[in-house]
Amino acid sequence: MPEHRSTASIVTCVKAFLLLAMVGLAACGKPATHDEIRFAIAQAPLTLDPRYATDAASERVNRLIYHQLVDFDVHYRPVPSLATWICSDARHCRFSLKTDGRTFHDGSRLTAEDVVATYRSLLELKDSPHTAEFANISDVLAVDADTVDFTLKHADDQFPARLIIGILPARLLAQAHDFSHHPIGSGPLKFVAWNRALQLQRVSDGQRFVLQEVRDPTVRVLKLLRGEADMLQGDLPPELVVYLKRQPSIVVKEVPGTNDSYLGFNMQDLVLRDVRVRRAITLSIDRDAIIHQAMIGGTRPATAILPPEHWAGNPNLKPYPHDPKEARRLLTEAGIRLPLKLVYKTSTDAQRVRLATIMQAQMQQAGIDLEIRSLDWGTFFDDVKHGKFQLYGLTWVGIKTPEIYRLAFHSASVPPAGANRGRVADEILDREIERGDWSAATARIHELLPYVPLWYEGQFLAMQAGFAGDHLSPDGNWDWMQTFRRKLK
Amino acid sequence: MNSFLKRLLGVIPVVFGVLLLTFLLVHLVPGDPVEVMLGESATTADRTQLRAELGLDQPLPIQFVTYLGKLAQGNFGYSIHTHTPISRLLAERLPATVELALLALSIALFIGLPLGIVAAIRYRQWPDKMATVSALTLSAMPHFWLGPLLMLVFALWLGWLPVNGMESRASIVLPALTLACGLTAILTRMTRASLLEVLSEDFVRTARAKGLSQRVVVLRHALKAALLPVVTIVGLQLGSLLAGAVITETVFGWDGVGRLLVESIEKRDYPVTQACVLVIALIYVLVNLLTDLTYARLDPRVRFTR
Repeated sequence: MPEHRSTASIVTCVKAFLLLAMVGLAACGKPATHDEIRFAIAQAPLTLDPRYATDAASERVNRLIYHQLVDFDVHYRPVPSLATWICSDARHCRFSLKTDGRTFHDGSRLTAEDVVATYRSLLELKDSPHTAEFANISDVLAVDADTVDFTLKHADDQFPARLIIGILPARLLAQAHDFSHHPIGSGPLKFVAWNRALQLQRVSDGQRFVLQEVRDPTVRVLKLLRGEADMLQGDLPPELVVYLKRQPSIVVKEVPGTNDSYLGFNMQDLVLRDVRVRRAITLSIDRDAIIHQAMIGGTRPATAILPPEHWAGNPNLKPYPHDPKEARRLLTEAGIRLPLKLVYKTSTDAQRVRLATIMQAQMQQAGIDLEIRSLDWGTFFDDVKHGKFQLYGLTWVGIKTPEIYRLAFHSASVPPAGANRGRVADEILDREIERGDWSAATARIHELLPYVPLWYEGQFLAMQAGFAGDHLSPDGNWDWMQTFRRKLK
Repeated sequence: MNSFLKRLLGVIPVVFGVLLLTFLLVHLVPGDPVEVMLGESATTADRTQLRAELGLDQPLPIQFVTYLGKLAQGNFGYSIHTHTPISRLLAERLPATVELALLALSIALFIGLPLGIVAAIRYRQWPDKMATVSALTLSAMPHFWLGPLLMLVFALWLGWLPVNGMESRASIVLPALTLACGLTAILTRMTRASLLEVLSEDFVRTARAKGLSQRVVVLRHALKAALLPVVTIVGLQLGSLLAGAVITETVFGWDGVGRLLVESIEKRDYPVTQACVLVIALIYVLVNLLTDLTYARLDPRVRFTR
């Protein structure tokens, strides 16, 4: 009997603990009501200093905290944001500040001196990823409180489109203020706090936003469903987007995207330097099937880095069809003994690996035996930059100007001097890029096939029902935060 | 005391070895922080200049000596990407990890020990079978699967707890439970096995022959002897919990050291990675030292030899 008693007392203790725990948990209840709009993001910004920001999250937030001189219209032509401009020639441009958007969040007025100080500080920084982009600036001068003159070392007719760095207060720049953690700009949203989550406030009506990093896609979805997050955007596998669309309490908005996912070739590889082999690989991929089965809505086939609606886009380019028979014939013609063994490198991202697996199966029909190597991001990107690959998959994100063709395909842009990762070296293409004949350059790239443009991945915003606003952008920026609000009950 | 100091001094070569190994590994893996910082449009001159400023152009032995020199002054350095002092990053993240680890361990001890005791007392009866099956099931669940499962049940279906984050006190419950599950299983099995062995020993039979109650025999006599291997396991597990439960912290958005380490590796933020590994190694070594000391307290036969 005593044995039974000691066992019973232990069991009773455990039962009591479980009961207390359940009562305690139940007391935690549902999330409290709130006024702020909570946005679950896959990756928190690395820095809120626009002089250092390169990651997508930082650039998207900085667009909202700071005003920039120039922005882009729907065809990606540069348009005035903070200033209008006139270029007297390809080396001299005068920017006149507009009247609106000229109050910094600390109450001081944005003047030409702030513009000058921002760009001068960029030129002086030794560890900024943007310094090289502005190395062509010979001088930047404030003519008066509202006018700034830029003088360039060399002619550049694309120059105004480069001035998309947020303007910082000169006074704080002189004090070496820590903008990366305590930003002060003049944009539509002002910084409130950044502890575990980034808090911003819309200047026009005081609406607060809380940006919380939630890395795991499933967890982001769970937070949205439970009401811990009000919205999330992008970075979800398609099946989760489909799942969200079926939820009555969730609204999903989709728009066509502009970020080009592509398959890169190593043009120095003994097999891949033959254009027939590259064409065969291109013909072996059934992009339409992948887009319909494994991509989110709004995804469309790509023919070039810049989409056809871009002012430098080429709507005349036709996507290569899916033709495994022709692919097999081309490989045989190129003297390849089938199956052709190739190695495809990608990151460890689950969706990337899935897409690689689908392409692997499709290529098999054309006699290509694709081996997939999924590597951690640092190792993968390092291999890509150093040319240690045969094929790889990546996406160009947020590209606005045709300068990307120089960076990605000019023979002088082989890393570390640029992003010509496939080591393309073609004199005709170089000349067309140098002339700025983008139509001819894209046609030449389409013919040479140094890479396969796969698709522009669609963008989506998933949110709780009961919000109003617009501005879901094809490049995935967060400009909707300028207008989104709760609908009145 | 002398022998304790001796053991403490023995920590130094271990920590030095960890430092050297981490330094070499971090510098030998592919990926250049300068390229990450400056992007693809920077000129070779810019890269060379920044590499010199960061001291990355120096031979590895000189970089290592410089690093040791700064460490000796208590200077962990700065994050390459955020320019934040690393000591500040660690000071922000370490308490969260400690809090999570201690709660997970407490839950595991509170459930695992009684379950193990009951299983041993009721050997081959239904409580023992239930405890064994539960322990096996719990230990077979990986954290990346168990975490979302707990979220689904407790946050979404029952609505009792937040999904993730650190906004409220209740946020700690699910990550702590996730970590505690595996640990509970280990403790249950270890307590059961150890207690079963002790219960068949002569001194227990003697105690029973003296007419002592089962409660006194088990709780006062047998359990103390049976706890020795359990203490070892607790020490080792606490070490790994404090070292940062990387997956759990990532899934639950818990800003601890484990998450900081993973982020720094992804960004090739060498100084942060090295500092995290150093702190983790120190924690491991100290917890193990404490375990040894506890061992000596529990069993008078165990003493540090001179």
